Amino acid sequence: MSTAIAFKNLTLGYDRHPAVHHLQVEIDEGSLTAIVGPNGAGKSTLLKGVIGALTPLEGRVAFGGLSRDNIAYLPQQSDIDRTFPISVVDLVAMGLWREIGAFGWLGRARRARVNAAIAAVGLTGFEPRPIGSLSGGQMQRALFARLLLQDAQLVLLDEPFTAIDSRTMADLINVVCRWHVDGRTVLAVLHDHEMVRAHFPRTLMLARELVAHGPTEQVLTAENQFRARQMCEACAGPPHVCGRSVA
Amino acid sequence: MTNRRILLRCVAAVVALSLSGPVVSQATEPTRVVATFSILGDMAERIGGKHLAITTLVGPGGDAHVYQPTPAAARAVSEAEVLIVNGLEFEGWLDRLINASDFNGMRVVATEGVEPIAFEDDKDEHTEIKHHDDHGDEHAEDEHHDSHGDEHAHRHDGAFDPHAWMNLGNAIMYVDNITAALAQANPDNTATFYENRDAYVAEIQSLDAEIQKLMSGLPESRRTVVTSHDAFQYFGRNYGLTFLAPQGLSTDSEASAQDVARLIEQMRVESISAVFVENIADSRLLQQIANETGATIGGTLYPGALSGPDGSAPTYLDMMRHNATTLAQALGS
Amino acid sequence: MIWESVVQPFYDFSFMRRALLGCIAISVGATPIGVFLMLRRMSLTGDAMAHAILPGAAVGYLVAGLSLGAMTIGGLIAGIAVALLSGFVTRVTALREDTSLASFYLISLALGVLIVSTRGSNVDLMHVLFGTVLALDDTALILLCSITSLSVLTLATLFRPLVLECVDPQFLRSVSRLSAVTHFTFLVLVVLNLVGGFHALGTLMVVGIIILPAAAARFWLASIGGLIVAAISLAMLSSLIGLLLSYHYSLPSGPAIILVAGLAYGMSLLFGPLGGLVWQALSRQHFESRKVDLP
Repeated sequence: MSTAIAFKNLTLGYDRHPAVHHLQVEIDEGSLTAIVGPNGAGKSTLLKGVIGALTPLEGRVAFGGLSRDNIAYLPQQSDIDRTFPISVVDLVAMGLWREIGAFGWLGRARRARVNAAIAAVGLTGFEPRPIGSLSGGQMQRALFARLLLQDAQLVLLDEPFTAIDSRTMADLINVVCRWHVDGRTVLAVLHDHEMVRAHFPRTLMLARELVAHGPTEQVLTAENQFRARQMCEACAGPPHVCGRSVA
Repeated sequence: MTNRRILLRCVAAVVALSLSGPVVSQATEPTRVVATFSILGDMAERIGGKHLAITTLVGPGGDAHVYQPTPAAARAVSEAEVLIVNGLEFEGWLDRLINASDFNGMRVVATEGVEPIAFEDDKDEHTEIKHHDDHGDEHAEDEHHDSHGDEHAHRHDGAFDPHAWMNLGNAIMYVDNITAALAQANPDNTATFYENRDAYVAEIQSLDAEIQKLMSGLPESRRTVVTSHDAFQYFGRNYGLTFLAPQGLSTDSEASAQDVARLIEQMRVESISAVFVENIADSRLLQQIANETGATIGGTLYPGALSGPDGSAPTYLDMMRHNATTLAQALGS
Repeated sequence: MIWESVVQPFYDFSFMRRALLGCIAISVGATPIGVFLMLRRMSLTGDAMAHAILPGAAVGYLVAGLSLGAMTIGGLIAGIAVALLSGFVTRVTALREDTSLASFYLISLALGVLIVSTRGSNVDLMHVLFGTVLALDDTALILLCSITSLSVLTLATLFRPLVLECVDPQFLRSVSRLSAVTHFTFLVLVVLNLVGGFHALGTLMVVGIIILPAAAARFWLASIGGLIVAAISLAMLSSLIGLLLSYHYSLPSGPAIILVAGLAYGMSLLFGPLGGLVWQALSRQHFESRKVDLP
């Protein structure tokens, strides 16, 4: 199995404080991996490091053959302006940016694909509605539809199922599984361990540093969770310069 | 004489000298005079010359309507012995400046004794002309006049047109008021002041006669002038010209399309061929009117300030002469 | 009767035709900009910019005296500097657009007042710089029409990135490098329209035409394209009615136009179907709940 992403001694953080500390992990291509860990474990930060929104304090993220353009990212809190007068179909159609860019013509074929993506997330009939009229769950479906259209080889999801209804959750998990079937690499930050056990074959447990990485049933154990919590609590107190840091 | 008596006499002499000091210095030190704008400053200069130290607040080319007093101005006013103002509420900012500056000298109002033109009178002037109006719509005319009146009222707080210096006859009153004040503040030089005053007044009178002759040479049909600063009422009354303006007295208030349209109509009907730009206010509207009626811009007029020393209106008399000749030239051609 | 009151004034007077042309130009060019400003919560930019251009105009005055060209160009440079600086600060620090713009325009204004004071003359620079719709000479008209053409072309070209930049800037940044270019080009367009408009038409007219039709349109339509078309139409209609009112009832022209636009805004606020107050107050029957087929 070839590697999609390799984290090489990666340290990511804010203001010299590491949120991800000396991470050395390889993610296989086509894998469906959940990222779990206690609060403040650096999970969102890790995803931000993958898309390049944060410069590493040390180490780097290596991509196995994947260009950086081939990544789709769903952030935890999007700063989408809900009051902007744009319809659902127009928002979703933005997913085709890589194909049509700023000036490309949408055309009938592409329009059909947009409608198909909207149907795939169960939002048929909502196309002309302004995004301000969508509920939380409906908005999340629309964003998933956009992700679908992006057709990326690597999909990063940051807490995609928080605060949405179970019906939506069930439908969107189906979309994620379909991505996995397609052979795309998916990384998802999740809190719900039941869902992880049910749908995600591999898990990466993070508590700033690596706790465990591998098949879910081996990683999601009580002792690993205990260790993770301990590692996180140990990080309170006055900071001093990391001894492992390359000067 | 004993030493003590010599000492006493010396002390007495010193005391006497120091008491007379102020009197001596009053005679030799120039009187500190502050004039609110350049025309008054120029007049004071003619009358008092080297016996005065004159500070002018609104200098050449400045617009007294929008003047903002500076700390330097407040300082000058507080140290002034004589403050020359125009009056008729020309200087809207004056009272605040005086309060702020702790002035305790003599204030002389140049327009004291002048017969002012009320703004009502201006409206009547317009009524006379508008009888030629093709539309003949009395109702609309009244509205037009009201708006003019409102503009006047808005711009100048007083009920009278303050530009009295545009009539050379009034200028003599200005000069008399100023001379009297200077004589009171600096009594040692009274004779000089009145000599200068007489010479100055003679010049004023001869210029007045000159201008009268110039203007009376103009044909009756060529006596209407358009300029954007409606400060020429006194000039017009004195020399038989009519001044029309698109905006009224204010450099702030905005014109209405009706005002502009009527003015253009007017100019077309009466074949007015000259439009004047003045040195302070915006000229674009005038240019537009000129373009539309085929009129020419007749030159620069100076209504409320002198030009710099290199310009064509460095003194009050030069200014009046320049205005008159410019007008006559454009109207006569 | 219609001919006399509506068409005759424009037929008789060249200044009325020019005024109308100038209004059409500003409506087509600046109103779409206003729609975007409103959606980005930057509606007060117009007033801020009117102050921010002072040091540029002052330097122009120092260099070339009361030359409208020099002062306008100076004002343009100052305005663009303020706009770009505040845009940069917004992108790179925690400060939002309103604060960063306010900080820079205040600095600019203070600098301008300082420069004007050292010169000593009492000319009211701003008054000289700001024009009026009734006095549109050839230069002003050409300026307006050029800026309009440039704005229309640029907006049409950058429409998609601009919309995305407003709705979901994070997403735009992740898929394209056009984010910064779009943002700064938009700011430059804003300044161009504002300063050119000030020169030709004065502050009240420009800022009013930019904001009021956009605000009014918001109560009628829910798509960005529709908003733009509605706003342009409202702006042109307000200009026509305002000019005619100014002509027939001797009202100052700029304020008349803006008050008509304001009236349109007031009516929209009350009666507009999208969130107008009257509609909100009426108790309406709600629709059947639609059944959406889920896969």
